[in-house]
Amino acid sequence: MTLSKPIVLAEDNPRDAELTLAAMEEHQLADKVILCHDGAEVLDYLYCRGPFKTRLQGNPAVVLLDLKMPKVDGLEVLRTIKNDADLRPIPVVMLTSSREERDLAESYALGANAYVVKPVEFHQFLKAVKELGVFWGMINEPPPEGAGRAAGRSA
Amino acid sequence: MRMDEPNHQQALDAAVDAALPSPQPGAGAVVQHSFLTAILRSVQQRSIEQRVLAGFGLVFAGILVISVISYRNMTVLIRNGHQDQRSHEFIQLLDAMGEAMDDAENGHRRFLVTGDESYLTAYNTLRERAPEFARYLRELTSPESSQGAHVTHLAQLITQQLQEERNAIELRNKTGFEGVRGMALTGVAKASLDAARKLQAQMEQEENKALAQRVIESTSTTRSSIILLSIGALLLFVLLAAVYYLIRHDITARRRIAAELQRRGELLEAANKELEAFSYSVSHDLRAPLRHIDGYASLLAKATAVSLDDKAKRYLHTISEAATRMGQLIDDLLVFSRMGRQEMLHGTVNLDQLIAAVLHDLRHDLQDRTISWKIAQLPDVTGDAAMLRQVFVNLIANAIKFTSTQPNATIEIGSRSDGPNEAVLFVRDNGVGFDMQYANKLFGVFQRLHRADEFEGTGIGLANVRRIIHRHGGKSWAEGALGKGATFYVSLPLARPST
Repeated sequence: MTLSKPIVLAEDNPRDAELTLAAMEEHQLADKVILCHDGAEVLDYLYCRGPFKTRLQGNPAVVLLDLKMPKVDGLEVLRTIKNDADLRPIPVVMLTSSREERDLAESYALGANAYVVKPVEFHQFLKAVKELGVFWGMINEPPPEGAGRAAGRSA
Repeated sequence: MRMDEPNHQQALDAAVDAALPSPQPGAGAVVQHSFLTAILRSVQQRSIEQRVLAGFGLVFAGILVISVISYRNMTVLIRNGHQDQRSHEFIQLLDAMGEAMDDAENGHRRFLVTGDESYLTAYNTLRERAPEFARYLRELTSPESSQGAHVTHLAQLITQQLQEERNAIELRNKTGFEGVRGMALTGVAKASLDAARKLQAQMEQEENKALAQRVIESTSTTRSSIILLSIGALLLFVLLAAVYYLIRHDITARRRIAAELQRRGELLEAANKELEAFSYSVSHDLRAPLRHIDGYASLLAKATAVSLDDKAKRYLHTISEAATRMGQLIDDLLVFSRMGRQEMLHGTVNLDQLIAAVLHDLRHDLQDRTISWKIAQLPDVTGDAAMLRQVFVNLIANAIKFTSTQPNATIEIGSRSDGPNEAVLFVRDNGVGFDMQYANKLFGVFQRLHRADEFEGTGIGLANVRRIIHRHGGKSWAEGALGKGATFYVSLPLARPST
């Protein structure tokens, strides 16, 4: 159970990012985390463009998406991922402060794989992030490369 | 609506003042005025529909009264017209009769002198036509009236005249001129003829008098009809104007209210949207800094675990705790806000099953507790099952919480019916209770009667209960005494039995 694929974390707030990374650190997951500061950066990473032009090909193990982000917000990123045959198999977890029913409904409607509300209490936050990292980065078996295309062709 | 009442009242006063005669000065005025005020007050208590109906009722009653009186006056005028015609005929007939009687007597006298029978033509005519005349006269009078008696008398006098003349004719035929010389000079029926003429004149006079009286009566009837019709028309006009005013005023008021309602509806919608945006912002943005406070305080505590003394550690711990509590308060507020906005489902809710499910959910709170439960059978109610579940979770959790200091805790859940459409449900405990003077504070948002270190909680539960019950159209209240337990009541609409 070694983590081969990276975890993409989309988080515009540097403090939240730091706390999330601190939580990942506890399970030695931090170095696998690709931190994006807005939705546009996430898309750049996924499409290997801009600063990520030279990165190794392949989809991440999971994308942890904040809802409210500058430029391109979380729901927009989610919509783009789920509408692209190549990106669709990537598990997307919404990691947000919002517990609004509207956000939950919309996220699931767009095809989010999970929805996690960031707990205010740090110990619970720590636990939640750790479990997320462990589950999606280590326990869950990610889809093979080209899974979306293959499914698209057979359909 | 209330605001334009005085305006409305003034207009009504004016309308009523115009319709009714102004009060007479003096002692009567006070009585009349208070009478008017009483009428006005009773008018004001009526709804607009009743007022308009009363107005139209008065108008129709007025039309009816005017019609009846006009009809009566017209009948009088027509009857008088008929009678006038008969009177004129009567007088003409009397004159003709008088002439015929004179002619008969004059011809008769000539006959007596000359013996020439051709002079008897007038006499014969009278004799032939006398019964006809009498019958005609009788037809023109009523038998009970004095004229009727006069007619009979006149007929008798004519018969008498004719009889006397006949006797004289027979005598002339037997004895010749000499036998009737005296009669021929004085006239045979002079006495009866004079009496007849006198009676005739009297009858004419009486008839003329009756005619004159009828003319006076007709004139006054006509005049009163005209006055009545004018006043009636004026009154009806005023009444109709008042009714028109009432209707127009009502329509204007309704239009204004409709416009105002629409405006307020739009305002409310805007306010609701703003509130939604606000609570979204609270939900998303306010929680982040709190998470940071707790997060960094925890990281700091960890990083300095060796170097910090106990006091400093306690400070850090308090910072974390305060942030956590604020997060809890925000979450509670959001739930409370959602309770008010969330769309409500309406269905039949089986409270027995609901209570069983709630107790199952609360089983963790019941560990290490001995509580004797008294749960009665509850009726089915109408409402949103999820919301009502929240109500009973809050009420029962409260009962469990506030009996925690009681070694023999008893919690009773029951109901009583309150009319055919409503059920009152209660949750009673023998816990710490509360002072009744704070009974109303219990249901306020974040209102607590106990210190946080006595019983935990933010104080949102009963506010949620009240909001949910209120949205179901019910009421919530509490009874209790310090140290003697508390009873929380909610009323809910009963489910309609499915038949």
